[in-house]
Amino acid sequence: MLEESLTAVAESIRAGKLSPVEAVERCLERARKWDGRIRAFITLDEEGALRSARLLEAEAAAGRWRGPLHGVPVGFKDLCHLEGQPTSCGTRTPEYFTSAHACTAAHRLLEAGAVSLGKLNMTELALGPFGDNAHHGDADNPWRAGHATGGSSSGSGAGVAAGFFAGAVGSDTGGSIRLPAACCGVVGLKPTYGRVSRAGAMVLSWSMDHLGPLAWTARDVALMLQVMAGRDAADATASRRAVPDYLAAIDHGIKDVRVGLPENYFFLGVEDEMADGVRQAARQLEALGARVVEMRLPDPQHMTDVAMLIARVESSTLHARLLREQPEALQPAVRARLELGMDISAYDYLQALRLRAKLTRAFIHDVFEEVDVLLTPVIPEPAPAWASLKAATVEEFNARSGRFSRLTRPFNGYGLPALSVPCGFTTAGLPMAFQAVGRPFDEGLLLKLGHAYQEAAGWHLRRPSL
Amino acid sequence: MTEKQQQQAERASMLGVIERLAGELALAEEPARFIAALEGEDEAPPRA
Repeated sequence: MLEESLTAVAESIRAGKLSPVEAVERCLERARKWDGRIRAFITLDEEGALRSARLLEAEAAAGRWRGPLHGVPVGFKDLCHLEGQPTSCGTRTPEYFTSAHACTAAHRLLEAGAVSLGKLNMTELALGPFGDNAHHGDADNPWRAGHATGGSSSGSGAGVAAGFFAGAVGSDTGGSIRLPAACCGVVGLKPTYGRVSRAGAMVLSWSMDHLGPLAWTARDVALMLQVMAGRDAADATASRRAVPDYLAAIDHGIKDVRVGLPENYFFLGVEDEMADGVRQAARQLEALGARVVEMRLPDPQHMTDVAMLIARVESSTLHARLLREQPEALQPAVRARLELGMDISAYDYLQALRLRAKLTRAFIHDVFEEVDVLLTPVIPEPAPAWASLKAATVEEFNARSGRFSRLTRPFNGYGLPALSVPCGFTTAGLPMAFQAVGRPFDEGLLLKLGHAYQEAAGWHLRRPSL
Repeated sequence: MTEKQQQQAERASMLGVIERLAGELALAEEPARFIAALEGEDEAPPRA
């Protein structure tokens, strides 16, 4: 504990085998012992977590259950606004980040009985794919000390893998849920754009931001998504579509599901070991009844460029005040990224938004006529060693950052649901992962595929020794 | 390459896609069609 899956913890509490206070105390014990190294937390709210757990325990004893997550410890990326707690967004200037709204997605999890252990580490302003943070410390990979966790939701991935909480909320503008999930050996879901409300979370790019869950298993993530998803008057982009029952069909298998392995873009520049891991996972899916075909995609590089341009302009616009008033408070690489967006014209920004619509329509039509799910790598190399990242020049670091998120960023542009699932370990003992991408709002199929794979492959049963 | 030069290179790379592809956009193409595409409510706009 909390090395068990979120589902197992929830079931143990419901069955009376584990109390909410016990669950929280065990998490706190691990966090006290190991977070000096892992640095998953920016704010560890021990007192608040225990107070909530005691209340939930009393309610359970009286037969009152708030929901499917009653008593389950979770954590929130420190860009989710929670009542009574500061929100740093990974900066050292939390005064710039206030909100009239609590984060809807976080609030829904808490209403369903989850217990917040606190606010989690992240790359400054969610700008960067590795999990480095000069203000709050670089998060460290639970599987191998001295290696990056992936980012920007670094504490969300590392904290689940370290057993500090059973599930976490992250945000994803170019890969920031899927990259730490892949580096830390847990499951992470970037839902369809609009599936989960973004109200009450720091905006980095209103066109590209998504909130989503990270946990040990696809089933855990399905349970969290069930609670988080759905329309929200506080977010104009939240879809009005009904939320399906993600758990109802999760055990139904993947016979005859058509899975596409891209011939172009997604395996280029990917280390052999990482590519082999994904191809091996494809063979496993085939053995489970899926029909795997190789296919050529409309060039995702176009969307990568379009998505990057849109995100740069929007993040510069949103954080212009901080950049203008306290540029010295920002890390140099973050400042440089914000400055870049200031130089893009309205003409180019609007053309990018128009191209996004066209490219998305074409991609959905061309790809999902042929297959039900795309299967790609998530990261082109295993979680890099901090030493190699720190030794790089600014140019090398930025170039490596671009390469590290080039497999995830297109799907922020397309707005499609994308699930990162662990698929083994490198010879150096670092996690590998595949990315399953589906039609708009077809998270259910991705979760079913991820669940079928995990049940067959069993990688989710391994735990890091801290 | 200096940091400034690298920023310029990154900017040029992003803008390249606009130069290459924006000419193919139909007049009726607009940003809101992105959401329509996700919701399955959109057909390609006419070329004129």
